Formats: sequence, structure tokens, C-alpha cells
Amino acid sequence: MKTLATIIGILLLAAVLVGQTSVDWPTYNGDYSGRHFSPLTKINSTNVNNLKLAWTWRANPGSGPAGGGGTTSATIKGTPLEINGILYTTIPDHVWAVDARTGKELWHFSWESKGGWHIGNRGAAVLGSTLYVETPDCNLIALNIADGKERWHTEICDLEQFYYGSVAPTIVKNHVIVGVSGDDLDIPGYVEAHDPETGKLQWRWYTHPNPGDPEAKTWPSVEAMMHGGGMTWGPSTYDPELNLYYFGTGNPQPVIAGRGRQGDNLYTESIIALNPDTGKLAWYFQASPHDTHDWDAIEIPILFDGEVNGQPRKLLAQASRNGWFFVLDRTNGKNILSTEFVKTNWTKGVDAKGQPIPDPKKEPQFDGALVSPNQGGAINWPPPSFSPNTGLFYVNATRAFSVYYLYDTEDKPEGWGGNDRGGWSEGMLEAIDYKTGKVKWLHKWPGSGGIRSGLLSTAGNLLFAGDNSSNLIAFDPKDGSILWHTELRASMSNTPITYELDGVQYLIVGAGDTLYTFTMPAK
Amino acid sequence: MRALLPTITGAVFLAAVAYAAGQAGPTERQKIDNAAATRGRAVYAQSCINCHGSNVKGGESGPDLIRSAVVLRDRLGNEIGPAMKKLANHPKDLTPEQVVDLSHFLHQRIETTSSNRNATPPNASILTGNVQAGKAYFNGAGKCSTCHSPTGDLAAYGTGKTAITIQQNFLFPRVARGGKQLEVTVTSAAGKAIRGALVRIDDFKVSLRDDAGQTQMFERAANVKVEVHDPLAAHHELLDQYTDADMHNIVAYLESLK
Repeated sequence: MKTLATIIGILLLAAVLVGQTSVDWPTYNGDYSGRHFSPLTKINSTNVNNLKLAWTWRANPGSGPAGGGGTTSATIKGTPLEINGILYTTIPDHVWAVDARTGKELWHFSWESKGGWHIGNRGAAVLGSTLYVETPDCNLIALNIADGKERWHTEICDLEQFYYGSVAPTIVKNHVIVGVSGDDLDIPGYVEAHDPETGKLQWRWYTHPNPGDPEAKTWPSVEAMMHGGGMTWGPSTYDPELNLYYFGTGNPQPVIAGRGRQGDNLYTESIIALNPDTGKLAWYFQASPHDTHDWDAIEIPILFDGEVNGQPRKLLAQASRNGWFFVLDRTNGKNILSTEFVKTNWTKGVDAKGQPIPDPKKEPQFDGALVSPNQGGAINWPPPSFSPNTGLFYVNATRAFSVYYLYDTEDKPEGWGGNDRGGWSEGMLEAIDYKTGKVKWLHKWPGSGGIRSGLLSTAGNLLFAGDNSSNLIAFDPKDGSILWHTELRASMSNTPITYELDGVQYLIVGAGDTLYTFTMPAK
Repeated sequence: MRALLPTITGAVFLAAVAYAAGQAGPTERQKIDNAAATRGRAVYAQSCINCHGSNVKGGESGPDLIRSAVVLRDRLGNEIGPAMKKLANHPKDLTPEQVVDLSHFLHQRIETTSSNRNATPPNASILTGNVQAGKAYFNGAGKCSTCHSPTGDLAAYGTGKTAITIQQNFLFPRVARGGKQLEVTVTSAAGKAIRGALVRIDDFKVSLRDDAGQTQMFERAANVKVEVHDPLAAHHELLDQYTDADMHNIVAYLESLK
């Protein structure tokens, strides 16, 4: 039996997310579509030159060890939430509530860690009066948003098997849906749903087929399949009308040495659609069949409605770490468009399903294989953005080369069994026309490629991005010209968000341990 | 809907049971005693190897013990000791000390496997190319001889270098060697050009170190011309042209320059 508060919370959340008219930023992606697009227009291309720093807030987690032998790195990689005038922001093991108007800290929750990889926390989720966040040591924690006090916690993965938690949970109706991370050893990925009131497990969906399923034939053995990886560490999206929950899956295991897992290795490196009430698979599309390069396909599957050959279509698009841009029919997963968004050298074209065909010669070799992109990929976790106003998909892209080596000489490799080394790279901000896959405009970043900030587009005809020299930049999303910039004290480490309170639009970015908030000066 | 607690293989089943029991993992992994692990290897060879295989990765009659949730959860034998007592066809006569030794050996195998991305390939693995073909590419299609000479800057280049170092050096010279300097010429609106080593560049500012060793910074604008000169541009362009065979042949040729 749900409490009235939770039911009201679900209804409010549904109203906010489905309508997408929100002035809040209530989820990691801002809404269920994953577009990282805001309808707000008070900050726009005609006045952005007046944007001024309003306040900053600095994360102070204290000096305690992070667990697992590491220390806490106070780098804000997560996208904060803004709900009813309060910001909720995270780093591994820490959550803060901050007044969204003033930057005044309201509460700080600290989790005593038992370990796990403290690489980053992507953010939290809120339903009603409860906030949900994952910890590196495999716990899902529920906090009272009024005071940050713990309501419950539950284990979502096994630290002993090298799993850890990093991803922002997603709320769909009365489900708190979580993914898991970790690829040091050969363990299976999964997503699972928990009851928002009690934390009780509702369902779990593994990222591999059941033995006996037709897709199980994409593995040489049940054992290889059950230890085949496919972590779920990326953001997810949801279509309430179709009642489908979308996310991407990570690399197969062993990561580099694929000899012991011949076949396509479903459902690794795939875009997945599940029924969020049952955890039942609706469809899949594999971005990288039989990958051996660590190219997780966990980048946001962005949902938008568009037109293809004159017909209105419900679409899903992903710019994938392997360098390919996919547009799918999100009702059934059928491919509409597959094209490279940076030049790569690892495929022999696409198959009838629109999936890239890997060139076996570009699998890692004992003497090395020169591969593009490199392990970091053509894109990594920072979110891209889609603007319905321009019809363009924006992505911070990297073109890179490295050499992939096999180390493991045994018949049954385990773990990684190899790695890539070295590299040369160049970075660029691209605007892709989803109808053709063509790059409409491109801004080449001075300097090398690699991970850059996430992106935000707005109805104010703006596209916000960070460069590697600590600049926050507003581009014209139509043509890529630079309209405004300001220098922060560190490079942007997360994704910009925007919200409106009392008629004032706020723009917030995280750079290192600090949130920077910009507004228009009062008239 | 997938079964919540899969019962497909023993290892996964045990993991699921452990999960359901809600056991929290200890704070740290077992610190491996190498001497004990060596003794444990002997215990393994005597009592376990026939079923679990010479590399501990399992065989027809025994599961993989590196991927085993029981072994991963084990601390100094507290899981594997009781498991061996309980399971049929497992040794019952090991002393507590032998169980601890075995635990160290198994955890050593897990640690090696979970960090095996950090290996270094031996020269013999990398040196698969043909010296003559590499020389032909160097003087021909690769145009390497435009800038380099085996009797000049590359004399005895192969001496004292591992094959993987040679491979990385010519593919990605800046990354591998710290590299030649990028240079930049900034021409002001008034037409004055200043050239120096590039210190930093973004869309708004460019700074360089001039011949006097002074760092100068310029705001970028439409009427300020900025030209970056990359002395390694030819290397980057080759990345789109090398076949893997070319790459291996060049390594063999450069390695032969002794």
C-alpha cells in the first residue's frame, strides 16, 4: 500500500515529465526524453551577453577516506536536480541540498563507504519527498528531501564481485530503476527496479539472454554468456505513451580478449527497450556486435518525434561511443539511419538490421591493431543534446587513434586480457541532422580531443558547452557561432542545467568541486 | 520477465543466494601473502587441479574458481573451507592452514586476472613485420625519409628500445616522447607577427613563449590572425593511411637500426 504522499508525488512527477513544460530540472536529463533541452527563453541569444555570475557553491565532503583505499575526489560529474527551489547535487558518497536561488547549503548527507570504485556519481532521482542515490559500495539509498536523513538503504550489487554504483536512478511510476557498473572481472550486467517506499526489489533484468533463447546463440556457451558483462551505467529515458524504458548497455567481458566469446554477445553494447512494470524486454538494437574495444553503448538514447520521408515517426537517436550515430523507430527498435559521426576504421559497413559489422582485422592483436576511435571513444558519458527547435542533435565528438593489444594468450581469457595504448585525438562540437546523419555544422576545439562537458540546448536559441580551457560557451545552435563565453576556475565537469524561479531563469554548471550559477542582472 | 534468482549455474546460484541473504561485503579485499599463495598453489595442484583446471578457470567437471562468487567472498578460507566440507568430491582432509594457503593462492589468481589490462607485451609479440618492407615504406609511400634518415636522426634508433616503444613513438610522437613543440604565429590587426612556442590556445585566448623566453598572451578577435604550426602533422595524417601491415613493417625496420 503506497502512502498518499508517494501517489501524489508520482502524479506530480508524471505531469511534470510528460508535459515537458517544466520550469524545474527534476531528473538527470531534465525530462524523460533525454534531450537536455529546456523550453525556457528568458536567457536567449539576444541577451546572453548580459549573463552574469550570481553565486557559486563549493562541495566540501570533508577529509575522510572514500573507502576502497581511495580518497574522495570532489569533482561534480553529476547533473544536479532542481525541484521547487532546491538543488540536489552529488559526488560519490555525498548528497547536498542547496537553495536554488541563493546557493545556501541546506543539508549534507555523507555515506560511510565500504569501498567500490569512486570514479564519479552521475546524480540522484526524486519521487515525492524522497531522494534516491547510488553509492560506490553497491547501495541504493533513500533520503528524506526535507532534511537529508536516511529513510532506508538496500544492496543493489555485490561489491565482492567488483560491481559498483555510479549511475543516477530513474523514477518511472512506482519504480526506482537502477543500473550497475564494474568491468574488472567477468560479471553480468543488469537493471533492477525497487519499491520507492520500502526499497524492496520488484524485478531484475539481466543484459544477457536466458539460456535457450534464440539470442543465447550469440554466445559460445552459457558460462561465457553468464559472465559476459554489459553494465548499465548510463542514463535512461522513458516514453509514457508506449510505456517503454530505454537505456544502453556496456562492453562485453572479457573486455579486450574476445576469443572465448565468439558471436555477437547479446545484449552487450545494445540499445534496450523494457516494460518498466515487468522488466520484460520489448526490443533491442546492438550498436557494436562482438565488441573488443570497450565501446560501451551507454550514451543517452534520446527520444523525440520527427519526420522521416514525410511521415511522422516516434524516434530514438544515440551517438554511440564506437563513432556511429543511430536513429531508430522507438516503438519497435527498427533502424532508420546508421552513419558515422566521426570517421572510424573498424567496420565493414552495416548489416541488414543497420548494425555495424566489425572488421575482425581491427580486433586487438598481439602485435597491435591501429584502431579509431580509441578506448575513450568518439563520445563518452557526457550527455549530448537534441533541440526540437533546430531538429539538430548536438554532440561533443572526438576523433582518436590508439593501438589495441592482446596480452592474454590462454584459450579462455578473463578480465580484460589486453588494452589500448597511446593515441592522437582531435575534438569537435557537431550538430547532426537526424534526417540525413549529415553534420550541419562543426566547431573544431583548439587542442586535442577527449572527454568534454555535456551539452544543453534551449528554446532561447542557445547551446551551452564547456571547453578544456575552463570556458563556458554559448553557441548559436543554428550555425555554431559563438555568442558568449565566460571563464570558470576549472573546466566544466558536468552538464549545464537551467530552471526558472520567480520569473528568473538560472543557468548552472559544475566545474571541479564548484557549482557556478548565472542569471540576468535585475533591471 | 527474467527470473529474479537465476538457477542456471552453480556460481550464479550461490551469488544469488548470497544476494538474497543481504550479506554486506567486508571493507577490503584480502591482502595476499605471497609465500602462503605459493604453498597454496601446491595444495591446489594436489587436490583441486584435476577438476578446476591448471589455470583455475575450470574444466569439464569443475567450475571456474576465479569467477566464483564463493571464492570472491572468501576471506582466509572462511567461505571455501565450509564449501569444500559441504560439497561432494571435495577434499575433506585439508588442515586449516592449508585452506588459508589455498585462499591466498586463489585470491592471487583473482587479483592477477582483474588487473591484467596492465601487462606489457614482449618484443617477440610486437616484432612480426618485415624489415625490407618497412624500409621500402619508409623511403616510399610513407615519405618518412623526407624528414628522417637511418644514418642521421635515426642512427642506431633501435638500440635499447622495446618494440612497443618504437611502435608508439612513430605512431604518436607527441604522446610518446613529450615531443616537438607546437608553434604559433599571432599577427595583430596592425600586421605585426609574433612567433613562439604554443603555451595555450582556446577560442578566446592564445599564449606563446617567445624567443626571449617570455610568455605573451593575446585575445583572439576577427582581426587577429592565429596560425598553429604542428611539426608532427605529417605523422597524424599517416594515421589514416597506414595499414596494420605497414605499421608492423616500420616497427621491424626501425628496430633493426642498430
